[in-house]
Amino acid sequence: MRDPSPAGKTLMANMADQAHRRAPANQTEENPSANNHAYEELRHLIMAPEQEELADIQERLDDRARRTQDVSSVVAEAISMRRDQHGERALAQALAPTVQETLRESVRRDPHPLADALFPVMGPAIRKSISEALRGMLESFNEALEHSLSVRGMKWRIEAFRTGKPFAEIVVMHSLLFRVEQVFLIHRHTGLVLNHVVAREVATQDASMVAGMLSAIQQFVRDSFNSKNDESLDRLDVGELEVWIEEGPDAVLAAVIRGHAPSDYRLAMKEALEEIQQRYSSALENFKGDAAPFLSAEELLRRLLAAQHREPAAQKKPRAALATIAVLCILLVAYFGYSIYLMVEWSRILHAVRGQPGIVVLSYDHEGGRYHIQGFKDPLAPDPNTLLKQAGLDPRTAQFDLAPYYSLDDSIVAQRARQLLNPPEGVTLSESHGELHVEGIAAPQWISRAQERAPYIAGVTSVDTSQLQNSHLLQLNGPKSSIESMILVFPIGRAELEPGQESSVAQAQKGIREIVEKASHLGEQTNVELTGHSDSTGIEGTNMLLSQERADNIRSILIRGGVQPSNLHTRGVGATQPLRPEDTEENRRLNRSVTARITFTPTASGN
Amino acid sequence: MLQKKICMLGSFSVGKTSLVRRFVESMFSEVYQTSIGVKVDKKVVRVNNEDVTLILWDIHGEDVYQKIHMSYLRGMSGYLLVIDGTRRQTLEDALALNERVVQEVGKVPAILVFNKSDLVDKWEIDSARESELAASGWTILRTSAKTGASVEQVFSQLAAATLAE
Repeated sequence: MRDPSPAGKTLMANMADQAHRRAPANQTEENPSANNHAYEELRHLIMAPEQEELADIQERLDDRARRTQDVSSVVAEAISMRRDQHGERALAQALAPTVQETLRESVRRDPHPLADALFPVMGPAIRKSISEALRGMLESFNEALEHSLSVRGMKWRIEAFRTGKPFAEIVVMHSLLFRVEQVFLIHRHTGLVLNHVVAREVATQDASMVAGMLSAIQQFVRDSFNSKNDESLDRLDVGELEVWIEEGPDAVLAAVIRGHAPSDYRLAMKEALEEIQQRYSSALENFKGDAAPFLSAEELLRRLLAAQHREPAAQKKPRAALATIAVLCILLVAYFGYSIYLMVEWSRILHAVRGQPGIVVLSYDHEGGRYHIQGFKDPLAPDPNTLLKQAGLDPRTAQFDLAPYYSLDDSIVAQRARQLLNPPEGVTLSESHGELHVEGIAAPQWISRAQERAPYIAGVTSVDTSQLQNSHLLQLNGPKSSIESMILVFPIGRAELEPGQESSVAQAQKGIREIVEKASHLGEQTNVELTGHSDSTGIEGTNMLLSQERADNIRSILIRGGVQPSNLHTRGVGATQPLRPEDTEENRRLNRSVTARITFTPTASGN
Repeated sequence: MLQKKICMLGSFSVGKTSLVRRFVESMFSEVYQTSIGVKVDKKVVRVNNEDVTLILWDIHGEDVYQKIHMSYLRGMSGYLLVIDGTRRQTLEDALALNERVVQEVGKVPAILVFNKSDLVDKWEIDSARESELAASGWTILRTSAKTGASVEQVFSQLAAATLAE
């Protein structure tokens, strides 16, 4: 802005000068010095308000902040006034560079605010353009599909090749019942064209000349055949083309049709012409060669073109759409079917692997058509690929990544025990909750080795061999049980045998000697435990001593009979472990007795 | 763009068709002239910085066998009355035709075209007659379809006259 202060100063000087010139006129011819004061006062009275105002104006003009404030209060009004006065163009031209620069700067600083502001506009615009493009593509795809594969399509291709016409034109020629290619609106009186519309992809001649010639022909026919004025040529046939002509008082409609239009198209032409006659009556009457007023009739004429496309197009579309939908459905069903098949197969694979003792699945995924399974596997667990084969699955569809580990599963622990202990035939191993049960008959060497090793097997905490029998000792069972069934009885209160039992004692002596010898051959030490009993009469302490004495006596008898003392052990139990309930005298007699029990222990050296 | 219907009138073989052949857009065969008696052509001229499309109805030359269809003249904005300068009779025929035209269509701008100006030494029409016609209100132009002399001028001058109406 131009600095206005010099102008302001000039104005002030002028006003001061005027006041100075006015002042003497108001003065009387008195002493100048005496009047000086009055003059100053008068000057002040007249000049002060103006001077203050001037100072204020001066300050406004000099003070940049105030000037800015003044302009800011009118800037919006100034812009709109300018726009109203000179049209939008001048202002837009002036502001355009600044606005452009502002936008550029805004984007450079932070593109987000502008992007956000434009988003509601750009979204629909982009969507619209994409959907238009897609629609066009789908239409041409449908057409191409329909025409390129059929026998008819091949015929048309050959025809296109033969005639040198584009394939599209051949298709249009054959597949449409009819098509209105051009519509002329002609001024009847002059034969000049007022408007002219053409269907897509139709080559045309110069409309103004065609319109002129049509009018000439029209008049020629009328003149030549002396027809009355309202009668005229309403149709020309030219090969595949027909020209339908509809005449109004001032305007003529001519439609160029390929193929054969239905008769109700004539009605559509009549209605359109009537509307044109009505809407443009004055323009038609005053027509002097300027067709501009008739530009707006284009939509009306286009309707005459478009209306006739609908029929053939409407028949085609549902078929194409149905075919597309059917193909999509088949693809969808196939896709879902395949997915379900994969899911079922996958669950079968997992099930086959997961249910197996000795295999732990930690994670799994599906990649590149193969299942990838990760986890742990006991060396004794079966090969997962074998499991898949058993389940009827292709092992190539899965890849296993299983780290080795020791499973504590009962069946795996039992299997491990079997592998390590290698039990002979007739011995079964089973495991539950860490306890290993060994059952059956085995050689004593195996039994002792098993008892030694079993606790070291992973997963085994205890061993139960109570049901395990030593195969070597089975042959001693007969003599052993006959001796163990013997009861040697004593009289009341005495430690000497009742008479009449000599043969039994002799049998015992002989039997024990034989057992000891045989057992020794099998590497077993024989232990004979002699237990002395008493009946329940008498004092308990005495009974204990008496029963011990009875056992010791039998031991002595046996030693004398040739049994090694190291094989014999004695104990007295008094009346504490009666052989019989003392309900009869006979039972009481049997409780005053000594019985034997034989056990074997493997000798240290083994055999 | 403005369109104007212009007719080309004159006796047989005065050179109407030759006059337009080299200077206008044409799409129809000359056979039409002998069959239906007219052929429509187009000429765009520039008048006062404005393009004007002249739709030229080249009407068959009149002779004893064929009268022109007066209905072809309906709606025209102007016409060229063409004569052959080397044949005096064509002028008299043209003037007779002109009277019928004025009777049928009324007064519209027209130019009297003296064609075959390249053969001016063989002309049967003297300049006294020419001045007489000019005095009676005719605009007269001498053209040569052969050399192209003044042909463009004929069209633009007639276009200007129709715009002035």
